[in-house]
Amino acid sequence: MNKIFRNHFAFFLFVVPALVMYATFYILPLLNSLQYSVTSWNGINEPVYNGFDNFAKALSDEQFWIALKNNIYFVLFSVFIQVPVIVIISILVSGVRRLLEFYKVTVYLPSILSTAAVAVIWQFVYQPDAGLMNQILKVLGLESLTRLWLGDPDTSMLAILVTNAWQWTGFYIVLVLAAIFAVPREILEAGTMDGAVGWRKAWLLTIPLIRPVIIVVMLLSITGAMKALDIVLIMTNGGPFGSSEVMATYMYKQAYSYSDFGYANAISIIICVFTAIISLIFHLLTRRRKGADEV
Amino acid sequence: MSYRARGIVPHVVLIIYVIVVLYPLFFVVNASLKNNSEITTNPWGFPHEFYFENYTNALSNSLFGRYFFNSLYISITATVATLLLSTAIAFAITRMKFPTYGKWVYGFLLISLLIPPASLLIPLYIMVKDIGLYNTPLALIIPYTAFGIPLTVFVIAAFLKSIPRELEEAGVVDGLSIYGILGKIVIPLTMPTLVTVFILNFINHWNEFILANLFLSTQQLRTLPVAIVAFADQFNMNYGALTASITISIVPVIIIYAILQKKIIEGVAAGSIKG
Repeated sequence: MNKIFRNHFAFFLFVVPALVMYATFYILPLLNSLQYSVTSWNGINEPVYNGFDNFAKALSDEQFWIALKNNIYFVLFSVFIQVPVIVIISILVSGVRRLLEFYKVTVYLPSILSTAAVAVIWQFVYQPDAGLMNQILKVLGLESLTRLWLGDPDTSMLAILVTNAWQWTGFYIVLVLAAIFAVPREILEAGTMDGAVGWRKAWLLTIPLIRPVIIVVMLLSITGAMKALDIVLIMTNGGPFGSSEVMATYMYKQAYSYSDFGYANAISIIICVFTAIISLIFHLLTRRRKGADEV
Repeated sequence: MSYRARGIVPHVVLIIYVIVVLYPLFFVVNASLKNNSEITTNPWGFPHEFYFENYTNALSNSLFGRYFFNSLYISITATVATLLLSTAIAFAITRMKFPTYGKWVYGFLLISLLIPPASLLIPLYIMVKDIGLYNTPLALIIPYTAFGIPLTVFVIAAFLKSIPRELEEAGVVDGLSIYGILGKIVIPLTMPTLVTVFILNFINHWNEFILANLFLSTQQLRTLPVAIVAFADQFNMNYGALTASITISIVPVIIIYAILQKKIIEGVAAGSIKG
């Protein structure tokens, strides 16, 4: 029995191909990135070691700080606006009997579409003449509020955040719903008998019970906000005037528009470290003092 | 508030939310059936008469079938490769008797959770150019396969841990080798989980834009997401053709979703929580 399950050759055969693939295309690029990040390199000539110049450059690069600020704006929008909406809608859906499946299926729909399609759909929604947004404002008689949305530095970032929320809210709702339905029925019923109904029940009972999944949702949206790239690239390409630049698009431009691969790699390392730090801080803040549940 | 009214309030809120979700899609599809002037003058109503020229415009100059096929075979190849590699490794580290190695391998895979894929983009681009994969389908298939491995292993391993030992022991009694146990006992039991991770990986690859945009330059090789963005740039002011091409690209996905929605929703919830 044990002999069969201690077949070294088979173990090797099962583990090595996947591990090599993963190490080569997942871990090695990160190490390469670290290596390039301390060089000055245009992508063609030999990279020249320049110490921490690229990181120092990022610190004094005003455009980079704008990008970082936009990432933080992205994180705050996700955590303080999107997450409450997700929780409220999930609790509402979990409470209905009729149309439950219908709600679940429709709210999830945008998450199945590619970000490319979503970005293009919303470019059309924000389109100044024919777009939905300005047409609605015209119908409401708020013509003065119509604007270029994506072409206006004041609204470009917000417009992207709304699009991103439109795409992903349903995905998170499905996660939270699964957690709500996993709560043992007796607990909720006992709570109802003790007089917890409606919003009291949600606040005192449901939300504390699904706390782990809410934390997961927050963490996923934080990391999602830190790595946001394609949606910004397609909708505004960081414009106008860098007003919607995020770190990942800035990195992308440094490499492919300015051929500054050393600097681009330094930014990619910064993104990686920042994501890790924010996740860690968040983890420490939400840790339970005693009897920690596994999240 | 009466009991009855209280029951209606959630539905009112939810219906509003559903409208917010669906109306932009409806607006695009509706616009695609109007001519360009009607799109601006009559944004709300149904088209006075169906105007299919937008679709012929959008389709005539494009290789839509080609893009669709590219997306399909690249996504399927990468997904199948990920599943084969991940099933083997998940089986080895959860069911075979090498607990120390198993833990190390698992820990090594966990590192991936700390790495945002966006930060791999540039080194990966350099690598793909250096090994001569640039502008070939393999430039997508290989990274997609690798990116899928960690999460797929986590989900499959979580399931494999729950299989009772007795089933494998029965296999041993029947004289099966380790390969026979994997192929004839473990994989059939794991099928539902494999379907779930197949769907998860497939959707990711099908929708991927950044690598597909960067690692392929020939128009013939384009995948659908890249093509949609190219359409959008090309038909910038031609609202009819633009909305028609959006419609063409999202309708197949919505149809597949309508058929498989239960499995997809289940899979996504399972994948994210276990991962």
